[in-house]
This record gives sequence, structure tokens and C-alpha cells, in this order.
Amino acid sequence: MYWKILLFVLMVFVSIAGITFPIVDKPSAWYEFPFIPGLGENAKIIFFHVPTAWLTVIAFLMSCIYGFRYLRNKNLNDDVKAYVANQLGIVFCILATVTGAVWAKFAWGAFWSWDPRQTSIFALLLIYGAWFALRSSIESEEKRATLSSVYSIIAFVTVPFFIFIMPRIMTGLHPGSADDETSGPIVNFKMNENMLLIFFISLIAFTILYFWMWYIGYKSILLKEKLQKNY
Amino acid sequence: MIKFLTENAIYIVMIIVLIVWIGIFFYLLGMDRRIKSIEKEMKGEKNEE
Repeated sequence: MYWKILLFVLMVFVSIAGITFPIVDKPSAWYEFPFIPGLGENAKIIFFHVPTAWLTVIAFLMSCIYGFRYLRNKNLNDDVKAYVANQLGIVFCILATVTGAVWAKFAWGAFWSWDPRQTSIFALLLIYGAWFALRSSIESEEKRATLSSVYSIIAFVTVPFFIFIMPRIMTGLHPGSADDETSGPIVNFKMNENMLLIFFISLIAFTILYFWMWYIGYKSILLKEKLQKNY
Repeated sequence: MIKFLTENAIYIVMIIVLIVWIGIFFYLLGMDRRIKSIEKEMKGEKNEE
């Protein structure tokens, strides 16, 4: 119960602090954000854009892990867990794409410009969209679970490449591209300590939220299946 | 009040985000409670059999 209150408070804090704290040239008070050239007020969306991308990776990783577990134990519950993880993964992937596109409109001038980062997340959406198509096309439960487990394991192989490698070795507009002079982890880019603090609180809050949603998702599917068997 | 909000539209964004978050949170809380009560009920039925 305590972690739910913690989640609520953290998210409220991130919403208030992340959105309303002023951006100034030389931050002196703890509640002031530094001015980042080229971004300005747009920089605040980072508290919501990066966590969604981060949850996409976590969700797809979990579907890969539960895919492995299903293949080892042949327990259909693991398949349900992988399914819910993938559902959440694709939802957060779409959210990352949309928030990224909105940000791009104001930082780069257009919603979509086929930047390496945008192209790679588009490919990722296609790959995991195909996962749902594959799943819905097979009738037999065991066969469906086996095939989708294998597919989610293979699909996860592409995730590090599309999210971490490809956008970094190509030149592009997104922070962390090959021609970015700050080229390091994206997190480092010109944030000061209190901005980083709120950023990490946001990451923690979104991660807790993800696990809660995942728990509710797979529990409700398992309950539904149980009820269908019993009555 | 209205003058302040039109000059600082970011607060309207904050209010909307908070409303959305509170809605999501209490929706999830309700789902969580319902799932727990159904689980409890099903366990009770098993014991009766």
C-alpha cells in the first residue's frame, strides 16, 4: 500500500516541478532549471518523453524474459505475463513516438523528419505490431504461446540495436547522435543537478507505474481465464 | 486569476496533467481493489467445496 502512496506523491511532484519550475539563464535556487540553448521551455517535456522510451525497453525486455520462461516451463501464465508486457510496451512506444513528435515540432520544426531515432522507433513499432498480428492469427493456445515467445525473443534482439546503437552511429538531430558534440549518454546533456534529480524521480515513478499496470493487467487476464474454466 | 492564468499558461498545463494523473491513479486503484476482492472470493469458494 505504501508504494502506491509513494507513486502518487512522486508523480504529483514530477508533474508540478517538471512543468512549472522556471527556466532561467543562471539557476541559483533549487527550483530553477538551466536554460538549454536550442530547447528553452521545450526542455521540460524530457520528464515525460524519456521515461516512456525507458519503459518501452523494460516492457520488451520483460516479454523476452517471460518468453524464455514459457519455453522452459510451458506454463501458460508466463505467456500471459509476456502478452501484457508487450501490450504495455507498445503503448509506451506509441507514447514515446507521439511525445517525441510533438517535441520535434517545436525543437526541429516538423513533427516527423525521418531522423535516425524516429526511423528506428518506427521500425520497432512495426516489429512489435507484427507480434500482435502473429498472436491473433493462431487458434491453438500452446502453439500461439510457443510461437509468440520465440518471436518476442528474436524481436528483442533488435531492441538494443534500434534504441541504443543505430541512432548513435548515424548523424541526426536527436541528442546522442554521432555528430552531437555532447555525445555521451543522452542523460548527461546539459542538465543541472536538480533537473537530473527530477528526471530520475520521474524515471522511478514511471517504472513503479509500469509494474503496477503490468500486475493489474496479467492478474485480470488470469482471473478471467479461471472464471471461464470454472463456470 | 484569469489574467494570471492567461499570462502563465503553463499552470493550466500542470492542472490538466494533474487531473489526468489523478484519474489514472484512482482508476488503477479501483481495479487493484476489485481484483483483490475477486481473488478473495474465489479462494473462499475453494475452501467451501
